[in-house]
Amino acid sequence: GRDFYKILGVPRSASIKDIKKAYRKLALQLHPDRNPDDPRAQEKFQDLGAAYEVLSDSEKRKQYDTYGEEGLKDGHQSSHGDIFSHFFGDFGFMFGGTPRQQDRNIPRGSDIIVDLEVTLEEVYAGNFVEVVRNKPVARQAPGKRKCNCRQEMRTTQLGPGRFQMTQEVVCDECPNVKLVNEERTLEVEIEPGVRDGMEYPFIGEGEPHVDGEPGDLRFRIKVVKHSIFERRGDDLYTNVTISLVESLVGFDMDITHLDGHKVHISRDKITRPGAKLWKKGEGLPNFDNNNIKGSLIITFDVDFPKEQLSEEAREGIKQLLKQGSVQKVYNGLQGY
Amino acid sequence: AKSDAGLVTCGSVLKLFNTQHRVRLHSHDIKYGSGSGQQSVTGVEASDDANSYWRIRGGTEGECPRGSPVRCGQAVRLTHVLTGKNLHTHHFPSPLTNNQEVSAFGEDGEGDDLDLWTVRCSGQHWEREAAVRFQHVGTSVFLSVTGEQYGSPIRGQHEVHGMASASAHNKWKAMEGIFIKPSPEAPGGHDEL
Repeated sequence: GRDFYKILGVPRSASIKDIKKAYRKLALQLHPDRNPDDPRAQEKFQDLGAAYEVLSDSEKRKQYDTYGEEGLKDGHQSSHGDIFSHFFGDFGFMFGGTPRQQDRNIPRGSDIIVDLEVTLEEVYAGNFVEVVRNKPVARQAPGKRKCNCRQEMRTTQLGPGRFQMTQEVVCDECPNVKLVNEERTLEVEIEPGVRDGMEYPFIGEGEPHVDGEPGDLRFRIKVVKHSIFERRGDDLYTNVTISLVESLVGFDMDITHLDGHKVHISRDKITRPGAKLWKKGEGLPNFDNNNIKGSLIITFDVDFPKEQLSEEAREGIKQLLKQGSVQKVYNGLQGY
Repeated sequence: AKSDAGLVTCGSVLKLFNTQHRVRLHSHDIKYGSGSGQQSVTGVEASDDANSYWRIRGGTEGECPRGSPVRCGQAVRLTHVLTGKNLHTHHFPSPLTNNQEVSAFGEDGEGDDLDLWTVRCSGQHWEREAAVRFQHVGTSVFLSVTGEQYGSPIRGQHEVHGMASASAHNKWKAMEGIFIKPSPEAPGGHDEL
C-alpha cells in the first residue's frame, strides 16, 4: 500500500486543516498540465488525490491508520478531477491567476464576487472555509430550441431590378436544454498573511450561459476589525495602559497573541507615556513567505492616579523623585 | 434533525424565490420613474441572472459573523451583490399597485435604519428548505409580490412591494447561491471579549 502521509508530506498527527492545506499546495505543483515532461505526472497526481480522499475522511483515515491501504473497504473511487474542483472550480487547470483563454465568440455567464469576511486570527494561522455552491447548470432536455440568434440582412427581389433589403433575426436549432440546480462543496483557503482584497477564483463556478460557458466565482478577502490588534502590512499594533507606578518601577506582563500564545513583556526601566516596544517576529506571517513574520508594536500609555494626593504624599513624592522644575515650552507638532 | 449545512448563514450570497409567483428577488441599475426615484427592485423568472444575488448581513458590522446561522426573528440586511445597495422600503407608493415601494438604497452596503428586515420563520433558524417571510423593521410591512408586471424597459418583471398583511404572496425560499457552512468552532477568539 501507498504511504498517504508521505505523499501529502504531513505527519500522522496532521489536522484536517493541515491535510487540506498540503493537498491544495501539492495539487497545483503536481497537476499533469503543469508537468508535461514528467512521464509519471499522471500517476503522482492520482496518488495525491487518493491520499487526500482517504485522509480527509475521518472514517477512511481511521481504517487506513489501522489496516493500511488494503484495509479500506470500498476502495476510493472518486475521480481526482472531482476533488480538485472542490478547491479550484471546474476548469481548475488554469493556474496562477492566468485568465481563461477568452474566445470572443463563446458567450460567457456572469462572474460572481463574494466578499469573504476573515478575522485576524485566520490571517495569522490560516483556515479553510467550506461553502456550498448551488447553481443552475444547463442539462439536455427533449426537443429543440433556438440558439445563437443574430441579426442578418436579407435581400428579396420585388420585380425586375427592384430589390428590398430587410433585417431579420436568424437563429440556429440546438438540442434543447433546461437549467437544473446542482450543488457542490467548495473549500476556500484563507492563506496565512492574506491581504485585504485578495481574490480566490473558482473557475466555472459562476453563473451559467446556455449558449456558452459559465462565469467564475471569486471570493474576495475582507479582513474584519479586531478589538486588540491593528494591522499595517505584516506588522501588528496594539496599545497597553499601565499604571503610573508600573511606568516608574517596571512590570511583567503577557499579551495573548492571535493563536493563543503568550508574548511576554518585561520592563525594569522607566516607561514613558507614548513609549513604543517592538517585538520582532511577533507580527503576521508574510503572505509570500510564511516563515518571515512582521513585528508587534506595543504603545504604552500611563494611567495616572485620579484621586487628589494628600499634602503628606506630595511631599513624599518630591523627596522620592528629587526632580526639579522643567516647564519647557516648545512646538511639539513641527508641522505634523 | 436538520444538518447545520441546511441553514442560511451570515455572509452567504443567495437568490430568493417567491414561492407563489415563482420569481426571484432582483435589482439592477434602473431607477424608479415614480415614488422615491431610487434603484428599482423587481421579481424575475430567470434562474441564471447574476442581478438576483443578495448577501445576508447582520444589522451592524460584526453583529453576525461569517457562517453564523440566521435565527428566526433576527434582523438582517440584504445587500444587492452587483450594485452594493441594500433592500429598503419607505412610505412611497409602489409604481403599479400603490402598495409600499421597495427599493435598493445606500452605497457600498451602507444605507440607513430602513434597510433592516426581520426574518420570520418557524423554529430556531432560517433553513434553506423553508419558505420564510421578511418583515420590515421600520414599517412592519412584508416583502411581497402579487403578480403585476412591468412594461418596457423591464418588460415582464414583477413588481415587488411591501404589504401590511402576511399571506402566501410574501413567502420566499433560498435557491441558488453560495452558502457558507456554519463553522464547527467560532471563527475568531475576539467575539468573547
